[in-house]
Amino acid sequence: MSEFSTRPVSDTPLRSDFGWRFAFAVAGAGFLTLLLAYAVVALLLQGTVLWGTNIPFVWGFDLINYVWWIGIANAASLFAVVLVLRKHGLRTSVNRFAEAAALAAVAAAAIYPILHLGRPWLFYWTFPYPATFQVWPNFRSTLVWDFWGIMSHVVVTGLFWYTGLIPDLGTMRDRAAAKGRRGVARIYGVVALGWRGSVRHWARHQAAYRIVAAMVLPMLVSAQTIVALEFATTLVPEWHQARVPLHIVATGIPSGLGVVLALAALLRGGLGLGHYIDDEDMHLLGKLTAAAALACGYVYAEGLLVALLEDQVTRQAIAARAFGAYAGLYWGGAVLVVLVPQLLWLPALRLRAIWVVPIGIGAAAGVWLDRFSLVTGGLLRDHLPRVGPLYAPTVPEWTLLAGSVGLFALLMLAFARFVPVVSMYETRHEESEADVP
Amino acid sequence: MTRPGPIGVIATFDDPDAMVAALRAAREAGWRRLDAYAPFPVPEAAALLGVNGARVAWIALAAGLFGAVLAYGTQWWLSVQAYPINIGGRPLHALPAFLPATTIVGILWAAAGALLGMLALNRLPRLHHPVFAAPGFGRASEDRFFVCLFTGDPGLGAWEARHLLNRHQPLSVAELEA
Amino acid sequence: MTPPDALPLPDPARRSVLRAAGASLALAAAAGCDGAPAEFGSPLYAPARGADAGPRSYATVLDLDGFGRGVMVHTRGGHAIKIEGNPRHPASLGATDIFLESAVLGLHDPARSRRLRRDGQALRDAGVFTTFLAEQRAALAARGGEGFRLVTGPIASPTQRRLIAALLAQWPGARWHVHAPLADAAAGVMLPLPDFARVRCVLALGADPLGPGPAQLAWARQWAEARRAGREAGRLPALLVAETSPCLTGAKADRLLPLPPAGIAALARAVAAELGVAAAAGATHPEARGLAAALRAAGPEALVLAGRGLPVEVHLLAQAMNAALGVELPAIPDPRAAPEAGTLAELAAEIDRVTHLLILDANPVFDAPADLDFSALLRRVPHSVHLGVQVDETALSCAWHLPLRHPLESWGDSRAFDGTAALRQPATRPLVEQAVAAEVVLARLAGIPGDDQALLRETWRAGWGEADFEARWLAALEEGVVADSAPAPQALRNDADMPTPAPVPQGLVAVFAPDPNLWDGRFASEAWLQELPRQLGQVAWGQAVLVAPQDARAAGLTDGAEVEIFISGRTLRAPMLVMPGQAPGAVTLPLGGGRRAAGGVPAGIGLDAYRLREAANPWVAEGVTLRATSGAAWEARLPDQAMAGDAPRVRRLAPGEAVPPLPPTRSLYPDWTYPGAAWGMAIDLDTCIGCNACVVACQAENNTPVVGPEEAARGRMMHWLRVDRVPTGPEEAPSVDFQPVPCMHCEKAPCEVVCPVNATVHDHEGLNLMVYPRCIGTRTCSNNCPYKVRKFNWAGYAREAGAVPVRNPDVPVRPRGVIEKCTYCQHRIKGAQDSARQEGRALRDGEIVTACQSACPTRAIHFGDINDPDSDVSRAKAEARNYALLGNLDTRPRTTYLARLVPGA
Repeated sequence: MSEFSTRPVSDTPLRSDFGWRFAFAVAGAGFLTLLLAYAVVALLLQGTVLWGTNIPFVWGFDLINYVWWIGIANAASLFAVVLVLRKHGLRTSVNRFAEAAALAAVAAAAIYPILHLGRPWLFYWTFPYPATFQVWPNFRSTLVWDFWGIMSHVVVTGLFWYTGLIPDLGTMRDRAAAKGRRGVARIYGVVALGWRGSVRHWARHQAAYRIVAAMVLPMLVSAQTIVALEFATTLVPEWHQARVPLHIVATGIPSGLGVVLALAALLRGGLGLGHYIDDEDMHLLGKLTAAAALACGYVYAEGLLVALLEDQVTRQAIAARAFGAYAGLYWGGAVLVVLVPQLLWLPALRLRAIWVVPIGIGAAAGVWLDRFSLVTGGLLRDHLPRVGPLYAPTVPEWTLLAGSVGLFALLMLAFARFVPVVSMYETRHEESEADVP
Repeated sequence: MTRPGPIGVIATFDDPDAMVAALRAAREAGWRRLDAYAPFPVPEAAALLGVNGARVAWIALAAGLFGAVLAYGTQWWLSVQAYPINIGGRPLHALPAFLPATTIVGILWAAAGALLGMLALNRLPRLHHPVFAAPGFGRASEDRFFVCLFTGDPGLGAWEARHLLNRHQPLSVAELEA
Repeated sequence: MTPPDALPLPDPARRSVLRAAGASLALAAAAGCDGAPAEFGSPLYAPARGADAGPRSYATVLDLDGFGRGVMVHTRGGHAIKIEGNPRHPASLGATDIFLESAVLGLHDPARSRRLRRDGQALRDAGVFTTFLAEQRAALAARGGEGFRLVTGPIASPTQRRLIAALLAQWPGARWHVHAPLADAAAGVMLPLPDFARVRCVLALGADPLGPGPAQLAWARQWAEARRAGREAGRLPALLVAETSPCLTGAKADRLLPLPPAGIAALARAVAAELGVAAAAGATHPEARGLAAALRAAGPEALVLAGRGLPVEVHLLAQAMNAALGVELPAIPDPRAAPEAGTLAELAAEIDRVTHLLILDANPVFDAPADLDFSALLRRVPHSVHLGVQVDETALSCAWHLPLRHPLESWGDSRAFDGTAALRQPATRPLVEQAVAAEVVLARLAGIPGDDQALLRETWRAGWGEADFEARWLAALEEGVVADSAPAPQALRNDADMPTPAPVPQGLVAVFAPDPNLWDGRFASEAWLQELPRQLGQVAWGQAVLVAPQDARAAGLTDGAEVEIFISGRTLRAPMLVMPGQAPGAVTLPLGGGRRAAGGVPAGIGLDAYRLREAANPWVAEGVTLRATSGAAWEARLPDQAMAGDAPRVRRLAPGEAVPPLPPTRSLYPDWTYPGAAWGMAIDLDTCIGCNACVVACQAENNTPVVGPEEAARGRMMHWLRVDRVPTGPEEAPSVDFQPVPCMHCEKAPCEVVCPVNATVHDHEGLNLMVYPRCIGTRTCSNNCPYKVRKFNWAGYAREAGAVPVRNPDVPVRPRGVIEKCTYCQHRIKGAQDSARQEGRALRDGEIVTACQSACPTRAIHFGDINDPDSDVSRAKAEARNYALLGNLDTRPRTTYLARLVPGA
């Protein structure tokens, strides 16, 4: 076995200089995050009047972006979980940042349900605590389910990420100590909880890691389903369909995979980790994304075909969403999510960041269009005719979106800066097994 | 004032197989208080030491069930007993509506139970441990494998440990001070 | 045409409508404590003797076009907070319209005139004017009033007429001119008083008896009673309407003929010919035979009416047709008629002989015909004085402006459309210190002493005599009407010669029409009326030229585009609305918009059609061209409520038919029981005329904020009750239904289930409650409300200055970020329950009246306890016409509708 095989990974966070490109990226992400702060303060001071929402379009970018980020988080987590549970070889290279991407996406998503409220500072009223009102939350409400869903999503995704990270944090501690950086070693040591690599600990750690991974799986399905139920349990004809959860879960997958794929390509180039995220990994990821997109094609087709079986109101509502004022969003989403990722079946493309990154980001953007189409186009045809003008996002809403992208990027950059981006112990394990003749 | 004797002897290996062999020999020699350290999971070694993840799983299951019961019970009690109120003409006890939160809180407790159970069984966090003082132990998290035999049982002292470990061609052998 | 005179007014900034002085807030805050202040106690005030008006209501009268409508003013802590109708007054019958409802807003308008002004600049010291008045009066007296002219609107007030007569008698050289932009000379000086309750067939030739106007409330009530009697007798009255632009009467028509004015005249001739009117013999029209047959079948119970803006010939033909049918149509001489007074055109002709001009509560600079160029005329008058409640265009153009007392702050009197007199008493102390009463100014000029109350008493003392004056005075104040004051009706005489028909104009004509919300422009400063979507066209905060679909297609104009209108050398740019039901060949220009100085409302809202109007032909302009411009029109507009292929939201039944029952649904859930009272509402779509009074009444009652033009354009209006317009049938002549949509108070409320924090829940009487302090603003309830009656405070609208200028202390003001909606006037329910409990008795049916129900002129809204099978609402719901909107969703709404009856539906 090769000596010091994971040193480049562990030494990356210990580098003092990350180069101008990293600094530039941090500056960009930091600027966008400041925009987020600005947008949040403006929102708190002036309220939802800043948005383009109205009656009936009571939700705009708030819910669109929330559902979108949750989809990315879910798909990235789902991908990581499946790799862990199947002990797939790809997990060593992409798991860690798939988990990190999921966590950052959940963080970006979680700000929206709070900010979308008319009175965001009262969001904790959805939690059952003994308030002076003596009134409790309404547990029948999808929004209370959603409160538990988001909370569990953040916690369980975080647990999954952290559980896998503990041994590698021990490595970081030891490497920092070896380099004489006692302060840094102390910090890593604390968060590594005194991990010392005992084989007994490893046995229980592996069990716990796989259990948490197994828990993520139903959590993802139920959390995403709960988000979908916020739409599906309403009386709005286009939303009130049993297939909405399936649609949301299924279309979330290519967007999450697309983000992971784009990040993988960027990390290969940006941090020089080509050895850890090798060509084989890129091929596998690319094919997975293309396959998930194909599955979405089925879901889209089913969505239109099912209209033929529905009652008249629902049929008209589906037609209004696909061919009405927001038809561009619907078909733009379908093209970016279903058709464009099919290019990834071409092996040559999968290794070239210039193709992979736009396709991956495009899949995520396509799902964003799909969520936009759901939240707005789904309301075009209600039981009674529309009472207000159409929704169009305003500058403060775009600012909020840019800000949440900035937050996501900043968290990812911090992740690349402070923790090993590849699961080192898994890499060692894999390589030691490969050594066995 | 005399210093106390070593609390254990630790050997460094560069190969997991050598570590497992040393461990097996120590078990056969009757060592009860011993441990091995590796940069990645070595299930054979854990089996030799009689450890598996079953207890973590039981803790997670219990925590998950408790969380689910707690969630359902809270919803039922607060909706039906503490503050019954007519909401949209629906019954107070809304079984289907209570299930999503029940499920997801159960999952939350199970996941948290798995991590916390693992840490509790591993007696972690424990930031200081004598093995950290072993020379070169920093590489236990990279590419070195260690077997540590703790003294204290009758007839199993530092000399016996050193003798046993040296038979397995360790890179080095050292004594651990308390 | 020259652009309108530049006025020294600030530019309309964003949300400027709400940026107004904070005085109203102090008023609103003070309204919290009950009990009238001692300094204006009972000697001044006579609490109303009316039915259920409560101890702090005062009966008074408010004018529209010079005619009075009796109202009850509800006050709190000495502040007028709500207008209700006076059941004893013949022009109200207990109902209100949008203009009456908004009177409290005008009273508390922070932007109303507060200071004496000279050349437009406010003065602190009113003494200058007193000196000026004394000097000029002396000068005028010396020459017998030569050069003095008085301009007023139409006046039926006995006291004002007495004072003007005294003034003219004192100064023989003075002259009075009446300026009434909406008066129609062709209608004659006799006012017909039809009784719609007894009519079985009406032919309305351009007439809009159900539309806004001084007699609307009475006529609409009579019509509703005729419908009720007709439903019971199985013989519905027929309403046949020929109209140029869609109006409320046309919406309720059984037969609708959209025709340009010349077409209406031709139709009138042909129908008259069919009915045997000699003067019209030989005229034909394809529709005439059918209309004549329907009229003839009703015989003396038929009625032919001619409307505003039509040639004299049509009015005479209508009279002739009534005579031919044997209709006995009573009439009275118009109490406003003043043969001694001149017109504004006559004033213009003599302007160089005018030295002193007093303009009393009129705004000719804005609403005089464009060819008079009144503001230029005004500059040639050395001494001009304007009296008005608002600092309007005329106030800024006159040398002097005096703030006038609001009708709710002053004494006076008035006559209704049928001549019934009523006394006006102040319901509040004057809110503007410098404001004067019009009567006092007239009296001072005429050299008569006394304040407005003394002047009023003097008038009636002369009429009643000394003997029982005090008793009659108090009775008149308490009841809000002067008993037996209506003149005896006479038979309508028909001795004028029939003029020869005018040649039919070639090309497009433009018809001027009063705006349904702004009327002649005097209500443009009322934000409630600006924000109210117009019944037809659904436009708020703006106006549009109405164009027939055929004309729009022919000219290649698209709905909502900006057009340029050319009429005899004058042009105007305005947004255009393709209006189904508009007569082809005629465009309608609504009057009253485009005010340059309208108090707190931004300048330039709507289009100023007076700029295109000529004194010679004020109602119809010929030779009109429309041209599309590159500009984009801006206005707040609601989508029409037409939708094909649904279960009809407005049901129409043939007489005797029943609403088909829905397929039975079985709920998975057991029913909740409501053992005490269970509140419910039934809205009769057969009698709803879409007048919007309920919408404004709801806004006034529930402190619903005004959001302003920008927010309204984003679809964020806060009305708790909206009246949907539902057109059916062909675009050329659609049949329109109106459907008021308040909260349905569903028993299986979908909104409540989705609220995460229990901010909207049911109470024990089945009310769907909204707990504002608990609401965190997720807006999910609105998403799940199929009726979309929930409104969201996107901003803290109610706390913006001027948004809620007058505040009902019984209703909380909602903060930013919470949902609000109709409560069935829960505070009125609780209030009635409390007083019943205090008096130790059971609640009576009809004791609780919601604000919308109280305003409704046709009593289309029924409210009460549905657990009581004998209650009014239970009897309404027991009718075969009763149905639930979207009943197929099984939300079990407590608000239901009664289907419209259409023969042959």
